[in-house]
Amino acid sequence: MLLQLNNISKWVHSGGQKVYLLKDISFWVNEGDFISIMGPSGSGKSTLLHILGMIDDFNEGEYTFLDESVHNLKEKYRANLYKQYIGFVFQSYHLIDELTVKENLEMPLLYKKYSGSERKAMVADMLDRFNIVGKKDLFPTQLSGGQQQLVGIARALIASPKLILADEPTGNLNSKQGEEIMDIFTQLNKEGVTIIQVTHSEKNMAYGSRVINLLDGSIQ
Amino acid sequence: MIKNYFKIAWRNALRQKQFSILNIIGLSIGICTCFIIGLYVHSELTYDTFHEKGDRIYRINQPDIWGDWGEQVSSTGPNVAVALREDAPEFEEVTRLLNRGSQVLRVLDGTESNVYNEDFYYAAEDNFFDVFSFPWIKGNKATALSEPMSMILSEEKAKTYFGDQNPIGKTVEVKDWEGHWQTYTVKGIIENVPYKSHFQFDVLVSLSSFSEQMKRDGWKWIWTAFGTYGLVKEGTDITALTNKIQAIPPKWAPPTTERIFNQTFEEFTKGYSWKLELQPLREVYRSGAPNFHTFGPTGNPMYVKIFGAIGILVLVLSSINFMNLSTARSSKRAKEIGVRKVLGSQKTALIKQFILESTLFVFLGTLIALLLVQLFLGVFNTVANTKLELSSYLGNPLFLVIIGVFILVLGIVSGSYPAFYLSAFRPAETLKSKISSKFKGKGIRNALVIFQFTISIALVICTFFVQKQLKYASSLDIGFDRDHILQIHNIEQLGFDTESLKTKLQSNPAFDKVGKSFGLPPDIWSGDRYKNIGGNSDVVQLRNVRTEEDYLDLLGVEFIAGRNFDISARPNDKYKVVLNEEAVKALGWGTRDAYENESPVGKILALASGNEDEFEVIGVVKNFNFNSIRQEIGPLVIIHHQNDKVWDYGAGLSYYSMRLHSESFKNSADVQEIITSVQEEIAQIDPSFPFEYSFMDQDFENTFVAEQQMGLVLNIFTVMALIIACLGLFGLSAFTAEQRVKELGIRKVLGAKMSELVILFTSEFAKLIMISILIAIPIAYFLVDDWLTNFAYRTSIDLWVFVLAAFIALIISILTVSFQALKSALVNPIESLRTE
Repeated sequence: MLLQLNNISKWVHSGGQKVYLLKDISFWVNEGDFISIMGPSGSGKSTLLHILGMIDDFNEGEYTFLDESVHNLKEKYRANLYKQYIGFVFQSYHLIDELTVKENLEMPLLYKKYSGSERKAMVADMLDRFNIVGKKDLFPTQLSGGQQQLVGIARALIASPKLILADEPTGNLNSKQGEEIMDIFTQLNKEGVTIIQVTHSEKNMAYGSRVINLLDGSIQ
Repeated sequence: MIKNYFKIAWRNALRQKQFSILNIIGLSIGICTCFIIGLYVHSELTYDTFHEKGDRIYRINQPDIWGDWGEQVSSTGPNVAVALREDAPEFEEVTRLLNRGSQVLRVLDGTESNVYNEDFYYAAEDNFFDVFSFPWIKGNKATALSEPMSMILSEEKAKTYFGDQNPIGKTVEVKDWEGHWQTYTVKGIIENVPYKSHFQFDVLVSLSSFSEQMKRDGWKWIWTAFGTYGLVKEGTDITALTNKIQAIPPKWAPPTTERIFNQTFEEFTKGYSWKLELQPLREVYRSGAPNFHTFGPTGNPMYVKIFGAIGILVLVLSSINFMNLSTARSSKRAKEIGVRKVLGSQKTALIKQFILESTLFVFLGTLIALLLVQLFLGVFNTVANTKLELSSYLGNPLFLVIIGVFILVLGIVSGSYPAFYLSAFRPAETLKSKISSKFKGKGIRNALVIFQFTISIALVICTFFVQKQLKYASSLDIGFDRDHILQIHNIEQLGFDTESLKTKLQSNPAFDKVGKSFGLPPDIWSGDRYKNIGGNSDVVQLRNVRTEEDYLDLLGVEFIAGRNFDISARPNDKYKVVLNEEAVKALGWGTRDAYENESPVGKILALASGNEDEFEVIGVVKNFNFNSIRQEIGPLVIIHHQNDKVWDYGAGLSYYSMRLHSESFKNSADVQEIITSVQEEIAQIDPSFPFEYSFMDQDFENTFVAEQQMGLVLNIFTVMALIIACLGLFGLSAFTAEQRVKELGIRKVLGAKMSELVILFTSEFAKLIMISILIAIPIAYFLVDDWLTNFAYRTSIDLWVFVLAAFIALIISILTVSFQALKSALVNPIESLRTE
């Protein structure tokens, strides 16, 4: 088992009242799963994804990732944990505009202890794998949305994570680009990478092996 | 990793050009100002540090025995050095310096002779160069001053007198007070005295040249014209030595008080102690005290403090700018920070990154600042009358280390707030596709803006009051009309009787009146001890000046009792005196109201300096300012210049003053012509006459030269501070405009007029300025009030000045902000609302 959530709740106070963003969420994920989180706007999909990615807190419940109790970890260890095992893909790509494709890919490696030559090799490998060698010196704004998302995925993958968290990865793309991206996810999943995606689209959901439906912060 | 930081910093800077330029300009101005002030302060604090034995040299100060015994002065009698040599073996050397005042020198060049007037002309003892280290060019340092009639010249003067010839052994003639030419032999050439020296001289002669006078008067403790300096032996306990030498005056001074004043030592000192003080050499200039130091420039510790404070403040202002702009644009960087965090960056790595960025900015700012310093130092030197230079520092490794540390510290300090602020972003928030438009840290940013403007506004108010005080001082009614009075100096060179010159001057149609005097306002300093006769006979210290009746006429001082001298009708008038109101009061004859009952006219006063000749008062003049209006008017006795019963008859510097006819000149060329005609007339009498002139109104102005310079420099720095604060405000309003573009768009769609939008936007900043004004006013009031206590005549602290300064600050800041306000109000709402 890769991770398990037990009775996770998150709330905010609004006008003196507790408003639940997530309520009593429990599920588990095995290695090699391809899970789609579905639900209407405001149902808590992104919040759940951020909690899974350890970049957001929750108020109640337990989260176990690879036998580590995430809710008990200090921020520094948590960061080390997700740094090592988790890659993120975003709807709006979140590439750094001031860096070239090559430099964007290199960035996660800078926060881990890799030597310069190792980094170079890994970046070259990724550029090759995603067929974007020719774009390596371009800046994100010079790329199409599909190409940017490709770079985003490549960046998420570069440090060989066990889990990819994708937040509406095709939300900003046209259908053809979207299909290409989803094909890449399928391919990755076959290679053993666990994928959790948040999506609106029934079509994208179909790529996954399991669906979690959220409504108003609870699993349906 | 570092490479990556550099890259990001560089590309960010390029991407946000407006921000980067504002930041760099603000920083450069701040650092440049701070450096210039730093150079000034460093220069002020390092006077007289070039003497090898400097840390063992002390100047001997003593009480002002001619006035306030509680105050120390830096000049002593000749006998102090003799006593120290005898009674204090802790001194390795004791040396004396005597300022001989302005001297006329003649150098024979073939058959022609050239005449020079030298102001920096001192007599020094033979051990002068054993104590002080002045770089020697030619001659034997050990013996150059040991013989009478020896002379040492500065390099520059040697060149002026003798050109390229070897000056050693050549002769120079100096006119003595009786008008005879005395021949001196050049024994040595030294490098020009560094400007950072508290004594400045061009010509030194051996003190032994005046051996006769020294023999006659060397025992006196009241010939307080000497600078006395002591070089103590290594390891001397200065406190113990100071205590020990307090025994010297009671032992050595009694002959002076008994023989000259017929008083015991205790009677003379009136119970005060004749305290000898040892002042370390390096304190002499920088402390600016005690006064009556006559050998060169004195520092002003108040200005060092004021400017030091301003330098630090301006630097703080510009680092605040940096912090404010960096945090304000955080929304731009939020995404990058979020991504970095998600990709595994620790908080510390982000902090490092932002501090590195700010250090880079500071580094760039410092480089530009150094260029600016180099560019503007010349202007500053002219304005502030300093001789600062940067080039000599640049080669100094210590200076470079200081600059390096400066960059690091400033980078870390000004980068730390943005660094901690930005790195604390929560990635989950920043990565939600829209960045929270809630403008965090606004409170702190507003506080920083208020701080900046408080300082700027306080500076503006202070600047206004400095100018107001200077204006007030130059337009103050000083009791007579000081305009258009031409004064010819060095008249004593023509001998005592100058009636023929006077007749000539009187016949010149350009002049209304002509009068001779032995002192000129605002520089009437001589004084003596007097007592009234028939009253309580208390001895009082009064200033005195010798004039003829025409001079009082020329000044136009008002007689409130009695009359002016009238020698032609009553020859005996020359033994009578005219007093001012203060002198009447000091002698115990009451104030003006009491004159009706008992007129001071006809009263008798006498000198209390051994010679007890009595003088009758024939007139009282209304108080007028005969010193700088920095001071209150003191008591003054006006003695007729022909009064041969007073000891200084026939001695001292004298002047002719002429009041110009208002119709005799229209422009400065006319004035120049008048001056030239006078010069020619005197040249006919004595071709070697050193012609020098001045105008009295300018002499009065010049007593405020330090304040005027300070005022100018303060103006510059105030403008700098204001520019920096406005740059910051401009940058901040730009970012606020960006933040509020949607809000303004919605308001516009809902029907807000453009003017309403501009007001809405501007009022937020205007509020901050108003708060700054409220804080600045009491601070400025306190500072101005404190500064004005330096003056006897003070301008009033008027409310309108505060209002004006506040108004100006408000206008400037509204103009700064309204550019952005207009820009964002003009945006088509469709544009601003579409993206959401």
